[in-house]
Amino acid sequence: MPILEARSLTKTFRRPDKASGFKGAVKHLVQRKYKNYTAVDGIDLSIEPGESVAYVGPNGAGKSTTVKLLTGILRPSEGTVRVMGRDPHTERIANAHDIGVLFGQRTQLWWDLPVEESLKLLKHMYGVSDADYQARIAKFDELLDLGEFMPALARTLSLGQRMRADLACALIHAPKMVYLDEPTIGLDISVKDRLRAFLRELVDDGTTLLLTSHDLADIEEVCERIVVIDKGAIAYDGPIQQLKAHYITTKAVHLILEGPADVPALAGKFPDYEWAAGESPSEVVVTYESNRFTTAEVLGGLTSQLAPRDLSLSEPSIEDVIRRLYAGELTK
Amino acid sequence: MADPTRALTARHVGGVYGRSLLAQIRAITEYPADFWVMASAGVMWNVLQFAFLTVLFAAVPDVAGWRYHEMLMLSGLLTVAAGSTALLCDGIWSTGTYVLKGEIDYRITRPAPVVVQVATSHIGMQGFGETAFGLVMVVYGWIGAGLGLAAVPAGLLGVACAVVIECALITMLCAVTFWIKGNNSIFAFVMLDLQHNAMTLPLALFPAAVKIVTMFVLPVAFVNFVPVAVLTGHLGPWWLIGTPLAAVASVLAALGVYRLGLRSYDSSGH
Repeated sequence: MPILEARSLTKTFRRPDKASGFKGAVKHLVQRKYKNYTAVDGIDLSIEPGESVAYVGPNGAGKSTTVKLLTGILRPSEGTVRVMGRDPHTERIANAHDIGVLFGQRTQLWWDLPVEESLKLLKHMYGVSDADYQARIAKFDELLDLGEFMPALARTLSLGQRMRADLACALIHAPKMVYLDEPTIGLDISVKDRLRAFLRELVDDGTTLLLTSHDLADIEEVCERIVVIDKGAIAYDGPIQQLKAHYITTKAVHLILEGPADVPALAGKFPDYEWAAGESPSEVVVTYESNRFTTAEVLGGLTSQLAPRDLSLSEPSIEDVIRRLYAGELTK
Repeated sequence: MADPTRALTARHVGGVYGRSLLAQIRAITEYPADFWVMASAGVMWNVLQFAFLTVLFAAVPDVAGWRYHEMLMLSGLLTVAAGSTALLCDGIWSTGTYVLKGEIDYRITRPAPVVVQVATSHIGMQGFGETAFGLVMVVYGWIGAGLGLAAVPAGLLGVACAVVIECALITMLCAVTFWIKGNNSIFAFVMLDLQHNAMTLPLALFPAAVKIVTMFVLPVAFVNFVPVAVLTGHLGPWWLIGTPLAAVASVLAALGVYRLGLRSYDSSGH
């Protein structure tokens, strides 16, 4: 049975329809017009217990709105959501015990209190026992180095410390379903690495995770499944590996030759590959279909006949694939 | 189906409320200068009210049958109620800001009433001075009006209900910002202003429509006028029953309106 199930989930907002500038603002005061804007448009989503799902899309695609619908913050305009069989909006209190939420752009720490006070307030709110609280704090300290800033006021924390503290707040009650909306936004590489390692451990322990991020490394390192959303609708839903296998069908060899590369002549000599000039006169990029030719076969032929000074291999990243999905170049 | 083991209990809600408020008091200690300035400001405004009444009653013996010490009690009880709201639910004034900035989000995902979490998100430090000085006015008026110890239980009931009604009415009017988006809770401000201007005077001075509205529509008369009028004999003792009834009705209305407001909450950053 899915831990989370959304059917035909739709959210429409009413937005003021006014002309720009001062005149438009004044006119809107006396003649108010609104237009409807559909942020999430009939989404069907089902997540099994223990899954780690990346929910990605360009800015304004409807990611955060979906998370707010799934967490019960917003009421759907149409469609239904069930989290562990409950409607998260109407059964908010019961649902709250099972979910953990982090919005990377906001904090839930009490601004003028030490981090440990915020955690204790949440401990009491969720009814966490002393023993569980101590065990979880010890684990967070081990994995996130919370101890160094537990006595610090929230307003004095760096962004990285704040995010780690917020993650602890989201997980202090050991929720079964965790939603992380941009958890690594603005963080430096070392903090990102630490957070990703922590999230992998969380998933390994059986927690179900829905992660939105613009950082595709977060997705590749933490999640097994990816849902791509664009203009409020799902553009792709499946395993990340399948996405790669399905859409990443070409590889490229970058050759540095001894002299200037004559691209038309090379293309005539090796017509099965695509040839393009590289960044320098002696560099040439050879693209081949990886389901037709093996890399060894391609490299063998090229090196024996062209004797390049240097070469390197590349394949399109998942980022390229998602960019093309956003652009509508690829279909589901 | 609702899960009975996860339903909110009064004990849990009370615990969340108490701990959150204590946390805010602790946060105040981070800003000691601010605390003293605000607490003093709370006293100063009411010293002026005290001085005004003293000067007024040096010139006239009574206002609509109300004497100096009775009027002090009237002003004092309103000051206690208003000051207490700053101590007990000052965060509720931030409802409009939280709605605009989407800061209700996290509070919806926690197992505690949103209204409690918002109400305890801040403490108005002026409330310390205001409440203390209001109590001084009530006690001074009480002694001057010749009220004995026998009236203390009725007085305590009046104070308790006054605080509850005031908190509830402010909560209800602040909840309007769920619909009328804006940082300022204009309706609540207007209510406080009207209270300070009108409810520090005997209700007999006003036309019947004002009496009906302040008793049965927005029951601000039960905050200070009715309890003091009962204690001083201007109204019959049975009127005192109306005070807890008004408190219960105000709380139910406030919770209902706030809950309705939450249903229309649409966060920010869509």
